[in-house]
Amino acid sequence: MMTPDTISASPSRDAAGPVRTWDPLVRLFHWSLVATVGTALATGLFTAADWIDVHVWAGAAMAGLVGIRLAWGFLGGRNARFSGFVTGPRAVLAHLKALRAGEGERHLGHNPAGAVMIVALLAVLAGLAVTGLAVFGGVLKSGPLAWLVPFETGWSLRELHEVLAYGLIALIGLHLAGTVFESIRTRENLARAMMTGTKEARPGDHAAPAVRARPLLAGLVMAALLGAAGAGLFALAQRPAFNVPTAALDPVYADECGACHMAYHPSLLPRQAWEKLLAGLGDHFGEDASLPDATLEAIRTYVMANAAEAFDTKPAHMLARINPDMPFTLTATRFWQRVHGDLPAAVFKRAKVGAKGNCQACHRDAESGLFYPGNISIPKE
Amino acid sequence: MTHLPTRLCLALAIALGATAGALADPARDAILAGYEKAAGEPLSADRGKAFFNATHAGGKPDTPTCTTCHTANPKAAGKTRAGKAIEPMAVSANPNRFTDPAFVEKWFGRNCNSVLGRDCTTREKGDVITWLSNL
Repeated sequence: MMTPDTISASPSRDAAGPVRTWDPLVRLFHWSLVATVGTALATGLFTAADWIDVHVWAGAAMAGLVGIRLAWGFLGGRNARFSGFVTGPRAVLAHLKALRAGEGERHLGHNPAGAVMIVALLAVLAGLAVTGLAVFGGVLKSGPLAWLVPFETGWSLRELHEVLAYGLIALIGLHLAGTVFESIRTRENLARAMMTGTKEARPGDHAAPAVRARPLLAGLVMAALLGAAGAGLFALAQRPAFNVPTAALDPVYADECGACHMAYHPSLLPRQAWEKLLAGLGDHFGEDASLPDATLEAIRTYVMANAAEAFDTKPAHMLARINPDMPFTLTATRFWQRVHGDLPAAVFKRAKVGAKGNCQACHRDAESGLFYPGNISIPKE
Repeated sequence: MTHLPTRLCLALAIALGATAGALADPARDAILAGYEKAAGEPLSADRGKAFFNATHAGGKPDTPTCTTCHTANPKAAGKTRAGKAIEPMAVSANPNRFTDPAFVEKWFGRNCNSVLGRDCTTREKGDVITWLSNL
């Protein structure tokens, strides 16, 4: 239950004592945001690729929280409502100038500099959610925008997503520094206040205008907002992904090319590399893998129609940058080496892996040509 | 009561016959007969065993012997250099072996070139199949 803080929080200029400042929703929002953003940052920057699902769901939860906070910013009570603390640049400069002169006011709610931080954080978080959604769709061909965003667009937005993430880290640093600074300046633990919700009322406090919260309406707006967004995104996610292989492998190809190694999806090589591979089957990775002419021609037709140029997946785009010295050795591409560089050599010698070319030992969806990072599980033995 | 052992013996004999029947295969017999005829001399399981286990010169450096991939135990599964399992070569462990002439010729063609750097002779092929069919 939300208690409109206008009832309990009526700081008198002379009274000293605890005064309710942060309502439960503001506090719950703040610490939930810390958890989701922390998870998204950790899984985005540090963990292996197979944490992608945790990263995406943390980002989705973050976006939901931002939506809730935006609604509460218009319907919440004093200290939650944007109109009570978001000010123009002149007020922010005046506040900073006063701080430099050592005579800044004490704000019970957000001070003008803190308000700038909140707007910046919400904007950067919204940007991260939108770019993340587009990257997820365009690069990994997953999620609500998989049907829409081409790989190249997703790949460019990935850089923007990264820049925003580093911007977020900078903002978090400033936010923490500001909290420490203001806690020292006003001799009050502001982090604890964000947990307990109460601050000490003091003479001369600057308080936001009293305003009655609309918890019921806010709840309805939030439910409608999140429900519509969730339903819409879910419906979009059902659409078939843009230019992704869906057909099963050609049986002749799968049988012939899958006899000695896994049947690699033909989209893992560009046509030029396929030409060279098929011309050299008499010495194929140190073995004779020659085929009868009729079979060879059938396979040539199939792989040319389904080569890297024909699809929009990440492997098709990245592996198309072949190593000119070894044009059809996937493990010789810079991309392959970069994304597998962290793995100890011993992983590839494990009984269930056997060789670097045995993609499906770790990539459950290798045969589809998709290689979704969430489908990685490295055998322990 | 006295005729029970007789019946038991009969059942056993039928069961044994069925087992032997599962191993013998007209298609394999035909393949072997063809190789033997082309070789112009009787096939030998001992020669086949020696050939299978020998280290050959002239082939590709990564595959000097049949056992590189098939291992020295034909009743067990082998493994390609790319890490894929190969079904056992011994007919007793894999009754489908040497029953499809095109398949047999395709793989002798490839693997003899990889291991020996030449085609195998009909006698070599027949010897190996003879050995692997009687393990």
